[in-house]
Amino acid sequence: MHSVKLVPCELTTEPIVTGSSVLGVQCADGVVLACDTLASYGSLARFQRVTRFHQPAAGVVIAGGGEYSDLQQLFRITDNVYRQEFCHEDGWELTPRALHQYLSRLLYARRSRLDPLYNTVAVAGKGRFLGMVDMYGTAIETNLVATGIGTLLALPLLRKRWHEGLTMDDGLACLEDCLRVLYYRDCRALRTIQVAKVSDSGETFISEPYDLGNLQWKVAHAVTEKLMI
Amino acid sequence: MFLSRSEYDRGVNTFSPEGRLFQVEYALEAIKLGSTAIGIQCADGVVLAVEKRVSSPLIEPSSIEKIVEIDTHIGATMSGLTADARTLIQHARVEAQNHRFNYEEPMPVESIAQAVCDLALRFGESGYGEDDDDADNGGGEGGGTNKDDTPIMSRPFGVALLLAGCDEHGPALYTTDPSGTYTRWLATAIGAGGESAQATLEERYRRSLSLTEAEVLALEVLRQVMEEKLNAMNIEMACVLPDGKHGRFQIYSTERLKACIERMSATDSPR
Amino acid sequence: MRPQEDQTRFTESSWMSSNLGPSAQQALISHQRSWSPYVDNGGTVLALAGRDYAVVAADTRFSVGFSVPSRNLTKIVRLTDQAVLASAGMGADRQYLHKILRSRLEVYKYQHQKQMSLSAIAQLLSNTLYSRRFFPIYAFNVLGGIDDNTGEGFVFGYDAIGSFEKVKVVCSGSGQTLVQPVLDQQLAGRQKYDLPDDQRMASLSLDEAIELTRDVFNSAAERDILTGDAVEIYAVTGSGVRYERHSLRQD
Repeated sequence: MHSVKLVPCELTTEPIVTGSSVLGVQCADGVVLACDTLASYGSLARFQRVTRFHQPAAGVVIAGGGEYSDLQQLFRITDNVYRQEFCHEDGWELTPRALHQYLSRLLYARRSRLDPLYNTVAVAGKGRFLGMVDMYGTAIETNLVATGIGTLLALPLLRKRWHEGLTMDDGLACLEDCLRVLYYRDCRALRTIQVAKVSDSGETFISEPYDLGNLQWKVAHAVTEKLMI
Repeated sequence: MFLSRSEYDRGVNTFSPEGRLFQVEYALEAIKLGSTAIGIQCADGVVLAVEKRVSSPLIEPSSIEKIVEIDTHIGATMSGLTADARTLIQHARVEAQNHRFNYEEPMPVESIAQAVCDLALRFGESGYGEDDDDADNGGGEGGGTNKDDTPIMSRPFGVALLLAGCDEHGPALYTTDPSGTYTRWLATAIGAGGESAQATLEERYRRSLSLTEAEVLALEVLRQVMEEKLNAMNIEMACVLPDGKHGRFQIYSTERLKACIERMSATDSPR
Repeated sequence: MRPQEDQTRFTESSWMSSNLGPSAQQALISHQRSWSPYVDNGGTVLALAGRDYAVVAADTRFSVGFSVPSRNLTKIVRLTDQAVLASAGMGADRQYLHKILRSRLEVYKYQHQKQMSLSAIAQLLSNTLYSRRFFPIYAFNVLGGIDDNTGEGFVFGYDAIGSFEKVKVVCSGSGQTLVQPVLDQQLAGRQKYDLPDDQRMASLSLDEAIELTRDVFNSAAERDILTGDAVEIYAVTGSGVRYERHSLRQD
């Protein structure tokens, strides 16, 4: 029998510093992503103004939840992919769909190595591309993305409000409403958020962090009273 | 002829300024020293016939094996350095079995030819780190690389093969040579008597030949190019016949050889 | 090797030849770590064969626990114009399996100048699954198509590690326990003990088979929370593959 050398485990099998939900919606004129700027340390709202967005190239934005250090690593890897591609200087660049597939292979390879990148990532890109990849490497192309607890709280709302011909402005309003709900209900959510827009033609805009307005806590007592019955 | 053509005929990895690889060309010459082998594709199969050089009456003729089975539906004969053929045949057999393992079907004849030619080019530097069963085997097993530093072959293989087989497209006959080229033929001959045999085949070949006619033709051509008198001890024959979707390869017994030779003698005596 | 290329380099062969790193090994051995590389994404797949056709169908729901991140993620891949594969189980493993099968089929086409036959695909799939015997691909496959020579429809049912069986009708996935008995009763006629073997298999027309498929998927969607949203149906016949899609309940 060979002995196993015990070394400190360096794998992410439980996340430490985490980001919460990421939301995305595909609209008639482009794609919108939104998420808050919080990286929690357990239940502690540890880092309140970090970005969970990344723009590796013109016309493509990725955003992620889950372990924040893994997310940074994932962003770095993505940058390297684009850098290599840029150095070829062949007039060709990765399409958002190609990046989406690449990330799914990356995450799948890592989970198969039992060394996962503990993230769920949304990819938005020109040509109205919207996709997500989970930590197992499942690649999903869809018109609506909600990760983490957002799958339970935000996705039903988004599905209710989504329709053909939704504009990016309407889509953004939907996402803000959902983030508001998440802020009410998700203990790991923050009112400071960031949004990213990628138009059909690839014009990309990532907002500065801003606070959600229009928050309504008047009904909060009813919720607690109800619970106390 | 045997003087060095230039300094470019030494290495297997250097082209001459005229764009030739002399070692490969010399390997092709080696085949022209070999015993003659004939293959004829006919309407209902493929026939192989090959000369065995039994240079002494003290040789046990059955120990000279010139026709071999690769799989139940494919066989081969050879001309040139027959020892080199062992490596190629072994490779082809492994590939054929791998194909059956992976896909539960017999390997197409052309794919066998391709597989043999893949190995034929693995000499010199390109032979390092290769081994016999690196085939696509549908799984992770096998496919290990040869950790040994010795190449599997330091020079080109000095042998040509005649591959006879039968797959879903029917009977087929291929040759492979040391340059890694494979060619499909209706009828062909390799070895010392190859050129004159080829001429006769071109004259007398018909697509409508029956198996029996093809056997007789092969023997007649072989007799014409052989130095010794042809008999059941100094030749070998085999055929592939369609069997359902695929073929069945069979090497002739001495009795069957004798019957073929008699049939040949019977057909040419009236002339 | 460029570092980030290395990251995705994970083929099934690398599993057998290269060992897991020491830390990964430790993660396997240590029981305190609870993270699992597997997740069940649910879904039902079905394949049934008639005299000259095969029907392969699957729902499009992608579930993670009680939530449905996507209502429209296909479980089916059209491998050739004679063979269609559907896989239930884990989405990521399914996508991986479908990808490598597609690439293997492409390589086979270049190597052998022909399309891979249904039976060859069946064997290849089994080998591919078995090559990961000790880290299984969490996918439950049904393969349907028509035989190269006879044109007869056949389906193959698999377990996750490559055991397979050539049958006329098979169902896998989260709705299996609901659907398979119905198929057995309707098609295989296993209760008709007094009939000789060759008469027990009901001969459905293609249209009837598709109708039955729609019915069983609607039924499964009623009771199985992991099945629903839509059913994709591929009909394989001698003249190629026909695709259709119908809504199922979405709750």
